[in-house]
Amino acid sequence: MFNDNAGGGGEHAAELNILARARPERLKALAETVLDGMDAITVVTNRTGLVMVPMRDTVENVDFHLGEVLVSEAEIADAAGTIGYGMVTGRDLERAMAMAVIDLRLAGAGHDDAIAAFLLSEGAFLAAQDEQRMRQVEATRVEMETF
Amino acid sequence: MAYVATRGGEKAIDQAERLFRADLGTIDAGRVEAIRQSMPYLVDRVMGEASLYSEELAALALAQTGGELSEAVLVLRAWRTTQPRIAVARPVRQGELLTQRRISAAFKDIPGGQILGPTLDYSHRVLATDVLEGTPFVPPPVDAAERAAPQRQPSLADWQRAQGLVAPVDEAKVAPQDIPDLTREPLLFPASRAHRLQSLARAETGGVLALGYAAMRGYGNAHPTVNELRLAEAEVVVTHPRGTQFSAGRVRVSQAEVTSKEKGGYLELGYAATFGWNEVKVIAAATLDLNSDEAPVGSAMHEEFYLYHTESVEASGFCIHFKLPHYVTFQSVLDAMRDAKAKEPVATAPAEELQTEPAE
Repeated sequence: MFNDNAGGGGEHAAELNILARARPERLKALAETVLDGMDAITVVTNRTGLVMVPMRDTVENVDFHLGEVLVSEAEIADAAGTIGYGMVTGRDLERAMAMAVIDLRLAGAGHDDAIAAFLLSEGAFLAAQDEQRMRQVEATRVEMETF
Repeated sequence: MAYVATRGGEKAIDQAERLFRADLGTIDAGRVEAIRQSMPYLVDRVMGEASLYSEELAALALAQTGGELSEAVLVLRAWRTTQPRIAVARPVRQGELLTQRRISAAFKDIPGGQILGPTLDYSHRVLATDVLEGTPFVPPPVDAAERAAPQRQPSLADWQRAQGLVAPVDEAKVAPQDIPDLTREPLLFPASRAHRLQSLARAETGGVLALGYAAMRGYGNAHPTVNELRLAEAEVVVTHPRGTQFSAGRVRVSQAEVTSKEKGGYLELGYAATFGWNEVKVIAAATLDLNSDEAPVGSAMHEEFYLYHTESVEASGFCIHFKLPHYVTFQSVLDAMRDAKAKEPVATAPAEELQTEPAE
């Protein structure tokens, strides 16, 4: 969804976007299998915290704080110092850690068939969910006529 | 005003809390999840006023306070202070919102069209009493359209600017970490626009409605027309340690722009937004924003008046503190009264009798 963002490459952003919204049980199950093939990792951080969300006012283009979102965050590193990172909305430390494990595996190995298949299937699932919702929304489009 | 420490009643206080909690019964994860699932609009309202987005915690707050809203918001605001702030997200722009409802009462043919989304606006409001007779209400399914609506809709205000209807604006220049933040600095007047909009975003819904309604009924200068109303989801865009921006998830948000009349060759606009889907709040809040600049000091449309008086925790806290012991204060009132009575001439006694027995 944010493939066009500058800052770290489109592919990485697309992967993280899917991992952050992937169904938790499937994400955790994948992370378990990825962990089995990994060397020792160091947990840098695994905590809940807040992300302040600013919004841009449309009248004067002023950014203001809408409020804070509860998130779970995990950062891990392998022996070579490669970082894996996960952040998801809500209170689920395991889910953030699972995302970080998968992110670390991708950063270290470059590619992983199981992860690639997971990203493809979860990406398709999320897109289908959005598509279904927006088809329902489209049904409420209204053409007003004045008399 | 004088205060005095009081002592005693520990057992009564303990039992009073037990009585409150006993009335609510056992709270388990199932009850919290039932509230979260069945009352999304109530959960949204509480998250907005708490300015803490977590459906799970908002549902828990509602469960443990039995739905006493000011108590629910209070425990969420208090819990919020236990958490570190990890980051400031990328500012959400209107054109990026995943929009599920977007209507305009001012312009019939807006670019992107009008989408009603989930609403009861044009429906009869009838209580489904059959449910109580044992017939569950099963909602009829939506006849989904062949093609999906676009997830994003253009900014109406930008389109109006291009038409010369709305005043041009400068690009936002403040870095996200430098945006004024009410949770870390006091609200001072005149308030910055960032403070005003943040304060309205976390304001108490009923309070904002009451004051906004007063403006709409004629106590304000500007009668609002909804320029654009949106219910949407916003991506929470954060930055990976390697610099990649990504979305950690989505939050529901509401936005309203209201307009009234021409001013200096342009349409005047008022704006408000909040966490969660809460239309009444953002329309009323945008109306206050619209009326604010010309409001006389001391009127309900003046920002000092409406921002102070719609701050949920301070307002409810101040209100309920009056039931706590004020013995010394009140004792001084009684002393003054008795003193005055003692000095009164005997001749005024019959009048006093009339006043002290108003029921007769």
